[in-house]
Amino acid sequence: MTTPILRARGITKVLPTTEGELAILTGVDLEINAGESVAVMGRSGSGKTTLLGILAGLDSPSAGTVVLDGEEITALDEERRAVVRGERVGFVFQSFQLLGSLTALENVMLPGELKGDADPRADALALLARVGLAERTTHYPRQLSGGEQQRVAIARAFASKPSILFADEPTGNLDTATGEHIIELIFELNREFETTLVLVTHDARLAVRCDRVIELEAGHIVAERMAVRQ
Amino acid sequence: MSAPIERRRRAARLRLVVRLLARDWRSGELTLLVIALLVAVGTVSAISLTTDRLGRALLSESSNLLAADRVITSGRDIPASFEDRARAFGLDTARTLTFASMVYVGDRNQLVSVKAVSDGYPLRGILRVADEPFGPDAPTKALPAAGEVWLDARVFPALGIAPGDPITVGEAELRVARVLAAEPDRGGSFFDFGPRLLMRLDDVPATGVVKPGSRLYHRLLLAGDEAALDNLAVELRDSLAPHYRWRSIREASPTVGDALGRAESFLLLGGLIAVLLAGAAVALGAHRYARRHYDHVAIFKTLGATPANVQYGYLTLLAGLGALAVPLGLLLGGAVHLAIVNSLATLMPVHLPAPGLKPLVVGAVTGFICLFAFAVPPVTALRGISPMRVIRRDLAHLGPSAGITYGSAAVGSLVLLIWYSGSVLLTLWTLLGVLGVSVVFGAIAFALLHGGRAIGMQAGSRWRLALAGLQRRRNENVAQVLIFGLAIMLLLILVLLRTELLEEWRAQLPPQAPNHFVMNVVSDELADVQQLLAAETTYSGVLYPMVRGRIVAVDGEAAAERRRRMTDEGDGPRLDSERNLSFVDALPTNNRIVAGQWWDGAGSFVSLEAEFARETGIGIGDVLEFDVAGARFEVTVTSLREVEWGSLEPNFFLLFAPGVLERYAATWMTSFYLPPERKRFLNELLGRFPTITVIEVDEVIAQVQRIVGRVTQAIELVLALVLGAGCLVLIASIQASRDERLKEHALLRALGGSKRLIQGALSAEFAVLGAFAGIVAAVGAELTTWILTTRVFELPGAAHPWLWALGPVLGVAIVATCGVLGTRSLVRSPPVMVLRELG
Ligand SMILES: Nc1ncnc2c1ncn2[C@@H]1O[C@H](COP(=O)(O)OP(=O)(O)O)[C@@H](O)[C@H]1O
Ligand SMILES: [Mg+2]
Repeated sequence: MTTPILRARGITKVLPTTEGELAILTGVDLEINAGESVAVMGRSGSGKTTLLGILAGLDSPSAGTVVLDGEEITALDEERRAVVRGERVGFVFQSFQLLGSLTALENVMLPGELKGDADPRADALALLARVGLAERTTHYPRQLSGGEQQRVAIARAFASKPSILFADEPTGNLDTATGEHIIELIFELNREFETTLVLVTHDARLAVRCDRVIELEAGHIVAERMAVRQ
Repeated sequence: MSAPIERRRRAARLRLVVRLLARDWRSGELTLLVIALLVAVGTVSAISLTTDRLGRALLSESSNLLAADRVITSGRDIPASFEDRARAFGLDTARTLTFASMVYVGDRNQLVSVKAVSDGYPLRGILRVADEPFGPDAPTKALPAAGEVWLDARVFPALGIAPGDPITVGEAELRVARVLAAEPDRGGSFFDFGPRLLMRLDDVPATGVVKPGSRLYHRLLLAGDEAALDNLAVELRDSLAPHYRWRSIREASPTVGDALGRAESFLLLGGLIAVLLAGAAVALGAHRYARRHYDHVAIFKTLGATPANVQYGYLTLLAGLGALAVPLGLLLGGAVHLAIVNSLATLMPVHLPAPGLKPLVVGAVTGFICLFAFAVPPVTALRGISPMRVIRRDLAHLGPSAGITYGSAAVGSLVLLIWYSGSVLLTLWTLLGVLGVSVVFGAIAFALLHGGRAIGMQAGSRWRLALAGLQRRRNENVAQVLIFGLAIMLLLILVLLRTELLEEWRAQLPPQAPNHFVMNVVSDELADVQQLLAAETTYSGVLYPMVRGRIVAVDGEAAAERRRRMTDEGDGPRLDSERNLSFVDALPTNNRIVAGQWWDGAGSFVSLEAEFARETGIGIGDVLEFDVAGARFEVTVTSLREVEWGSLEPNFFLLFAPGVLERYAATWMTSFYLPPERKRFLNELLGRFPTITVIEVDEVIAQVQRIVGRVTQAIELVLALVLGAGCLVLIASIQASRDERLKEHALLRALGGSKRLIQGALSAEFAVLGAFAGIVAAVGAELTTWILTTRVFELPGAAHPWLWALGPVLGVAIVATCGVLGTRSLVRSPPVMVLRELG
C-alpha cells in the first residue's frame, strides 16, 4: 500500500489582518497513503484546523497544491471541489454539526440524498444500527447526548462511503470515557470501510493509535514519526 | 454521467428540498417570510379589488352626470354618420336636444328648458317621476309617450295645471302626463336654466319652435365598452373639429374630474406604499431566513453539495413558497376586500359592479416580484457560504453584496411601481423620496445613536445597558432606525395626503355652498329680491353686476374682420358675440392671474380669461373697443386669468376694473343656498319677480358631494390597509434583529441580570430606536408630502408642526410595543433555553 491518496506540496496560508499579513501555514509538504491513519498534532493555534480544511478541500491555500485521490483539488473551483467532497471525503467535527431541524435518520440520509443514491434510507438505518443508535432514529439532535450526537455524525460521515475521513478533534467536546468510545468507533469503522483517516488532535493517547503522527508548530511540520503499533 | 442517473439525482434533490421546506415550515423558520408574502399579495389584491370595484362604481356614478359614458355635443345637428359608427363599434346611443321655450296654458305662460330625448335615454343613471307635484317620487325606465310631456313640479302651480292637463308648446298641443322629479344629467349649465320639460325628440318638429337661428344644444349620448369608446374617439377625431365636441365626465364636470383624478392617484400611491412596505417585510424575512441557514449550507457543502446545488435548492424552495403563498394571499385579499365591501354596503346604496380579473393578476405578479426582487439576493448569496464555517463558526459572511441587494430591490420596486401605477412621475417622486430620505437620514440616525451613547453614560443602569447595546450594533441599528423610519414615514405621508385632499374638497364644496343663482335682477328690484332671499334662504349677499356688451375692435381692427382673418369658426367663444361683462375691485377667489397684473383701483382696464384670450389671439397691452348699449369706449388688457370652471360659481370671460361700466344699465346676479325640501320657494320668488332667471345647480352639487363622499371612503380604507402593512414591516424588522439582541440579553441574565432589568433594557432600547425612527420619519414625511402635494396632486404645500411631535411619539409607541411583544416570550424563558435555542 504505497499509493499516496493525498499529496500536499508547499501548502502556505497567509491571511491579511489589520497588522499586516499573518502566515498560518508556511510550506507544508505531506503524503498520505491509502488505508493509512495519520494523526496531526500540535498546540492550540498551531494551524491544525487550517491544514485540515485545505487538505479536505474546504478551503484553498494561498500557495501550494493538494492532490486528493488523483484529483488536484487546488486547481478545481468550488463547484467541482464539492463534488469531490461528496464522493470521496467524510468529515467528523468537534462540534458534531448535525442539522437541528432533521432527525438522526434524516441527518444520516443527507449525503445519499445529495448524491441521488437509490435507497439512502436503508443504508442510513444500517449505519445507525452499526453505531448503536437503532432505537434513536427518529430523535432530533437536541434530544441526544453529546456522545450520541457524535455517533450520528460518524454514521453520516461513513454514509457516503468516503475513501478518506477527516476528523477535527472529534472528542474535544466530550468527557474522557465517551471520547474513548467515539475513537474506538471511528477506528472500527475505518477498518471496516477501508478508509484513510486524518485525525487532528492534541491528545497523545489518541495519536499513538494511528500509523503515523505529524507534529505541527507555528505553521510547519516539525516532526514526523511512525507510531508504534499496539 | 449518464442521463438516468442525473435525473434520479435531480428527483432526490427535489425531494430533499421539499422535505426541508416542510421542516422549516413546521419549525416556524418560514413564518415571517410567508406572512410577509401573504400580506404583500393580500394587501395589493385587496386594495386592487376594492379600488377596482369602487373605481367602477365611481365611474358609473359620475357617468350618471352625463347620462352616458361619453357625449358628443354641438350647437348643430349631429350627423347620423357618427351614430352609425358608434353602433358599428357596439356602443349604445341616444340623442337629446335642449332649448328654451315658452309654454302656454290659457293666458298663463312660463319659460321652460325643454329637453327632447330619443329612445334609450338615459344611457346611464335613471329618471325619477312622481304622480303629483311635490309628491313622493320613484325611479322609472319609461319615457314620455308620443304627444306627452313630463314637467318639473314647480311649473304646475305656476301654470295652475294638474297631471293630465293639456299645454301648448309652440304650435303643438301636448298632454302633461307625469311630474319629472329628477334627471341624472341635470347639468347646472348657465345656458340651460328654467324648469324642465321632458318630451320625445319625435314630437319636436310638430312644435315648430326649432328654427334656423334658434339657440340649440344637441347631444349624442354614447355608452359601452371603454375600448370601443376610445376607438370611436380616435376614428372621429378628425371629423369632430371644429363644430363637435367629444366630452367625458372629466371635461363635463371638472370638479368631479379633479376629485376622481386625485383619488386615483391617492389610491395608487397607497397601493404602491403597501407594496413597498410588504416588499421590505419580505426582504427582512428572507434575510433572517438566510442568516439562520448559513450553518445548514456549510454542512451541506461539506457533504458534497455544490454551490449550484445550493442555489437550485433554495430557489426551488422560494418558488415553492411563492406557489403556496400567492394563491393563499389572493384568497386572503379576496376575503379582506369582501369584508370591506360588506362594511361599506351599509353606507353605499349602490350595488358595486363585479371586479375585473386584473386585480388578481396584479396581486399574483406582485407576490412573485416581491419574492424575487427582495428575497432572492439574500437567499442566493447562500451559495457563497464557505464550508470552512463548519470549523470556524465565527467566519464572517457578509451576505450578498450591497450593490446586488439594493440594486435588485430598487429595480424590482421600480418595475412593480411603474407597472402598477402606470405613472412614471408618481413612481419616481415616491422612490426619490424614499431614497433621498434613506441616505440623508442614515447619517442622522448614525449621529443620533452616537450622541445617545454619551447621554446614556449618565443614566440609570437600564438606560445605560440599552444605549450601550444600541451603540455596540451601531450599523445594524442605523439600518433598523431607517427601516422603522421609512415605515412610519410612509404612514405619515398617507395620513397627511389624505387630510390635505379631504380638506381641499371640503373647502371646494362646503355643505351650504350656494346651489341656486339668480340672474337678470334689475337695479329697481335688487333691494326687494335681496330682502326676500335673506328672509327665506341662506343668503350670503354676494352680488355681481352684469352689463351686456360686445367687443367691436381689437387694436383698431374691426372684430368681424379679425375673426375672419383668424378663421375662428370653431365651437369656442366667438370674439364679437354679445357677452356678460362684469366689474370687480378684488380678484375673485377662484381666479388666478397667469399674466400681467391685477389692478388696484379704478381705470380703463380689462382682464381676460386665459383660454378666451388664447383662442381669440388677444394679449396683454392690446386695446379693446367695446359697444355697450350703442356707446363705444376703449379699455386696455392688463391681465389674463385662469378660472376654475368647476367651482360652480359665476365666472366671466371679461372682467372690468371699477370706473368703466358703472354708468351703463346693469342687471345683477346673486346666489343663495336652498335646502331640497324648500324648493317650492322658487315659485314664490319667480311669482313675485317674473323677469328674473333662476339657475338650479343643487342637483349637480348633491351628486358631486355623493361622489366625493365615496372617494373619501375609498381613501380611508386604503389607509387602513397600508397601516397593516406598515405594522408588519415593524414586526418583521424586530424579528430579524431578535436573535442577536437576545443572545446578548441571555448572557446578561446568565450573569445575574434580573428579568426586569433585561425587559427594561429591551423596552428602553426599542423606545430609543422608535424615537429616532420617528424623528427621521417626520422629516422625511414633511419633505415627501410637500413634493407630492405640489408636484403630483397640484395642491398648495404647507408645513405641519404637529407632525414633528407626532412622529417620535408614534415611533416610540409602535416600536416599543411591537418590540416588547415580540421579545416577551424569550425574556420569560430560562436563560439556558435561550442560549440553547440560539446555539
Ligand atoms: N480567519 C482567520 N482570521 C484570523 N486568524 C485566523 C483565522 N483562521 C485561523 N486564524 C489563526 O491562525 C492560527 C491557526 O489556527 P487553527 O488552524 O485554528 O489552529 P489549531 O486548529 O491548531 O488550533 C490561529 O492563531 C488562529 O487565530
Ligand atoms: Mg483547531
